[in-house]
Amino acid sequence: MDWLRFGRRPIITTALVAAAVVVAVVTTSTVRDGVAVSIALAVAIAGVATLTSKGIRATHPALARAALTVTAVDVALFATYFFSATTNFNLAIGAAMSIVLLGLSFLTGASGQISLGNGAFMGVGALIMAIWANHHATTPIAITLLIAVVGGAFVGLLLGLPATRLRGPYLAGMTLAFAVAFTGIVNTFSSWTGGDAGLQLPSAAPAPHWLVSFFSAQTSLFTTGTMWLTDITIVVTGVAFFFMANLFASRTGRAMRLIRDNDVAAELVGVSLPRARVIAFIVSSAYAALGGALWTLINNSVSPPTYSFALSVTILSLIVIGGIGTIPGALIGGLIYAYSTNVISWITTQTGLNPQGNFASQLNGIIFGGLLIVTMLFAPMGIAGAVRRLWVHRRTKTALE
Amino acid sequence: MDPFLTSRIVSDILGGLTNGVIYGLVALSLVLIWRSTGILNFAQGAMPMIATYIGMVVFAHEFSYWPCVAISLVVGFAIGGGTERLLVRHLYGKPEINPIVVMVGFLIVLEGVAAAVWSTEPRGIVNPFSPIDFQLGGKPIAMSAFSLYEVITAMVVMTLVAVLFRYTKLGLQLRASALAPEVSRLLGVRVSRMLTLGWVLSMGVGTITTILVASNFFTGLTPQVMDGIFAFGFIAAAVGGLDSPVGAIISGICIGIILQFVGDFLNSNYIILVALGILIVSLMVRPNGLFTKSSVRRV
Amino acid sequence: MIVVEGLSVSFGAVQALRDVSFEAQTGKITAVLGSNGAGKTTLLRTISGLKEPASGSVMLNERSLLHVKPENIARLGVGHVPEGRGVIGEFTVEENLRLGAMMAKVNLSAGLEEQYERFPVLGERRKQHAAKLSGGERQMLAMARALIAQPSVLLLDEPSLGLAPLVTSQLMHSIHDLCATKNLTVILVEQNASTALRISDHAVVLHLGSVVANDVASKIAADEDLRRYYLGMVE
Repeated sequence: MDWLRFGRRPIITTALVAAAVVVAVVTTSTVRDGVAVSIALAVAIAGVATLTSKGIRATHPALARAALTVTAVDVALFATYFFSATTNFNLAIGAAMSIVLLGLSFLTGASGQISLGNGAFMGVGALIMAIWANHHATTPIAITLLIAVVGGAFVGLLLGLPATRLRGPYLAGMTLAFAVAFTGIVNTFSSWTGGDAGLQLPSAAPAPHWLVSFFSAQTSLFTTGTMWLTDITIVVTGVAFFFMANLFASRTGRAMRLIRDNDVAAELVGVSLPRARVIAFIVSSAYAALGGALWTLINNSVSPPTYSFALSVTILSLIVIGGIGTIPGALIGGLIYAYSTNVISWITTQTGLNPQGNFASQLNGIIFGGLLIVTMLFAPMGIAGAVRRLWVHRRTKTALE
Repeated sequence: MDPFLTSRIVSDILGGLTNGVIYGLVALSLVLIWRSTGILNFAQGAMPMIATYIGMVVFAHEFSYWPCVAISLVVGFAIGGGTERLLVRHLYGKPEINPIVVMVGFLIVLEGVAAAVWSTEPRGIVNPFSPIDFQLGGKPIAMSAFSLYEVITAMVVMTLVAVLFRYTKLGLQLRASALAPEVSRLLGVRVSRMLTLGWVLSMGVGTITTILVASNFFTGLTPQVMDGIFAFGFIAAAVGGLDSPVGAIISGICIGIILQFVGDFLNSNYIILVALGILIVSLMVRPNGLFTKSSVRRV
Repeated sequence: MIVVEGLSVSFGAVQALRDVSFEAQTGKITAVLGSNGAGKTTLLRTISGLKEPASGSVMLNERSLLHVKPENIARLGVGHVPEGRGVIGEFTVEENLRLGAMMAKVNLSAGLEEQYERFPVLGERRKQHAAKLSGGERQMLAMARALIAQPSVLLLDEPSLGLAPLVTSQLMHSIHDLCATKNLTVILVEQNASTALRISDHAVVLHLGSVVANDVASKIAADEDLRRYYLGMVE
């Protein structure tokens, strides 16, 4: 009787799922909505049940990560149903940003290097997305996203070739040069990229047929307005985080962390430095490109001046504040980004600044730059690091008592 | 040779030289800080930009060009020394990304503050040098009184720095502090003062560079005036080798001239691409720079 | 004269020196002996201010050196020739010497002449980069660089390390002569005990950070147990 070992957990889980289905059927007006809501609730309950099982993190870490991802994505998807269109838009922009942050976090966490050009890599992905959509309107979104990722990885490889032999400041400087150059490069190929004006997607991207046909026109869930864009972004974000969490935990990830801590020692135990550095850089570029491609999808257009050096610095600030080298740090940074505009305009009104004035328009840069300095000096691992330290501190304290 | 082509080539060389000495100066100022404190200063464009605003804009009503230059320089020195003492000092011995991140943050804060105070509108700086090209046999050549002033000032600054480092007691101490700080302390060198002085000197070079750039009739002073030039200066420093002041200057001038030819014969949009290409190729061939004796990094 | 009293130094949890006390007299050579890890280098680094002690005191002619920065201790006349000589390889021989003369109040060219006279080979190679010198020449340069500042105290950390026996004995001779003619206080850290004891007046033996013997050099040299257990001098 295997299930006895787990105590009453499976029974409780089953009961909860059943209750959830009943609640869903009672509260929703159409059958398909009811099905969708029950699926969402059931998945969440099953995920939480898996996560809270004793010892699962130690024995099946990949399964635990999968359960965590599925639960988080499921809850987020469900939440979009209740959010306003503005909130969903902000959420989508922030989620895509968190993918970019995750890539940078990996680069630094794994190799101790830093890139000041991830805004430009986002731009690469964003442009590829738009260009491809303009030439091949029928390609499924997933494929177009993949093409953008591959394109980002390829540009990362081009720039990353010398990175095999480079230490921090050189790579940072080189990526800075790329970020500063990006707008110029876009203009060089303006027949493709549309120059500063950028590109529009041929038509507002329609929701995929299978999604529409499953829920059909009778339901508002998933297919209304732009909500499905947010949902797609959330799913992609979940996949990106799941992949990265596994990469962090894998042998490659461990080897890369060794490089960050002591590259000479890493080389001595047989880690190939050049390969690991280039891989870390390519992964970070590919993630940035994915984030940029999603932005194009969400905005239905791409405007190259967005992907300026300032964006690269914002990306750096967000991940440093969130916690560089950590996975939760990327999520925190993405959330901050989703609401930073609101917060800053709130500060502007609270302090009585002229919103059209010089100072108000520079507030964003001054605040992010200042936070960048303060975080690096006083809490180099950002919010995620500080929380983790508090947590560990409390646990050891309780353990001691 | 075709006389038209000849004059075009001469023009490119002269124009490239004018840009190149500026890149060389930025590269030199980066090398000064890199050698003394092992930090690549990403705020190397923004710090002197503030000094230039204070000297050349705030005081422009009261004083003429030269006193304003002197005021900018003094402010630049103070910003350099103050930054090293108050901000950079906390970063020695930290992982190498920490100073990078902090200096990028500083760059953004400084540019933001400058734009908040003085707006992003370009400010022309009235100076005694005409921007109109000289005529040679009835044709303009790419050299004006102003660009002559740029080139000569740059040469003088480079020579002064070289003399200081090569032939003076102070230069000897600066070099020793960079190469062997502990041994230098045992010999009575006040190393911590030398580190500050390295930043002060670098800001001196940076401020002169920024004044030269901003005095240009066609550029003017904006908060982000040095962003692009910083990128070219970094490329020059990285190509020449961050350890080598001579390499920085030479590669700065070479890059300036090459890019002028690219802009003239190909397309000015290709300039930045070619510059990036030069950087990537040279880093692949000689990762430590073309002008440094290759050395093994210690654990 | 250097007086060390009750000196304790630790690196985190590791105690490198425990309650070390001894005197180094003016005009005499005091050898500090002991095996690897005995704390000899830490002792010198503490005297010259590179390492803060946890407790105890270091006095230079009645003046406390505690909390004085290394560059100021150097300016008080303490010359420290560090482990591995500390010659700046990127500098020429003459630049190394000029750096040494920086804080001295002496005339530079007279100082250089004096050192070139004492170590003629340095005079011959004055324009060469120090990286090109041999081990013995580097040691000479390091000594000359310390001496050009006219110190009253000379701290020598393993000067014989890596040198051929003949070179070592010449070096020890010049240390002995210098000490006598310049009336220096010399503290000589050596692993090579027999060579050091030959020219020293006094010797301190360290073991795992503690003083196990502190006596006239000839007595230490004659003590069988010390020789065997702490100095590794087995016949």
